[in-house]
Amino acid sequence: MLSDAEKKRYSRQIRLFGEDGQERLLRTSVFIAGAGGLGSVISLYMAAAGFGKIRIVDCDTVELSNLNRQILHGNADVGRAKAKSAYESLTGINPEIEVEALVETISEENIDQLLQGCDIIMDAMDNFPVRYLLNRAALQRKIPLFHGAISGYQGQATTIIPGKTACLACIFPRAPPASVFPALGSTCGVIGSIQVTEAVKYVTGAGKLLENRLLFWDGLNGCLDEMACERNSACRECSDGEY
Amino acid sequence: MRIMVLAFASFREILGKERVLFLKESATVSDLLEELAAARPAFKEAAFDDTGTLRDYVLLMVNRKRIDPTQDLSRPLQEGDELAIFPPLAGG
Repeated sequence: MLSDAEKKRYSRQIRLFGEDGQERLLRTSVFIAGAGGLGSVISLYMAAAGFGKIRIVDCDTVELSNLNRQILHGNADVGRAKAKSAYESLTGINPEIEVEALVETISEENIDQLLQGCDIIMDAMDNFPVRYLLNRAALQRKIPLFHGAISGYQGQATTIIPGKTACLACIFPRAPPASVFPALGSTCGVIGSIQVTEAVKYVTGAGKLLENRLLFWDGLNGCLDEMACERNSACRECSDGEY
Repeated sequence: MRIMVLAFASFREILGKERVLFLKESATVSDLLEELAAARPAFKEAAFDDTGTLRDYVLLMVNRKRIDPTQDLSRPLQEGDELAIFPPLAGG
């Protein structure tokens, strides 16, 4: 049952998916991998929307060059752990949810522990090796992975449902080389918002998910495109019949 | 024959959103990529390595269906085919 304060706080979205939908969000435990450009948008909107438990993980400290896009962090946070300022921003936006912010590097060794108790995974990483770890963990746990990535004015997003859709390695079998990519806050805003919308739809059962569809945002031309994806029967991650 | 090329992500900034190419009959995916590389040196640099091999992370689709660049570059194209080409974005 929602409290009176919760009914008021979430009244505008209860119009969309009812108190039942809101209760579902409040019962959902979210893992957000990264508190950078995408992680900022994703975590702020998920906290505001009332996802009941948010665990956000980032190993870095805030740098001046992050502030053009990483809106979880302010000028006074430069030099502090991103997880610390993330915690303050998220609990400031919504003190009624549970926030855990961890200073950790996501690795093969700790990912199981980090994901303990989480129902969905939000990909807010900036590299493919860790994305592949998240993908494998999602497959093993049979929980959805909401993928997003950006570079400059361009972004991409898709929703991965283990056992149902192509996995991340089906869609992107090989990682591009690591590089310092150009980044615009508003592109993170577009893609992070799409990822959160997908998570809300998944949890409340509304609409049509980005399943087996890779969405492209082209900010320079102001257009969205999509490309159909399908499971790869030879995928190194999901083709052994287990998923 | 007429082939439509759709470029996404950073390749779109080089090739434009859509581009129609006219190729000889029986031209392959590889012929098409070479044509694009000859027309746009920036595309050649972005999509191919120093040995002239297509970078392994570049994604290709013919008529919206994924093809495997390690096996299917010699695949002949047909009149009206559509080739989509894009690199994965990785930033966050």
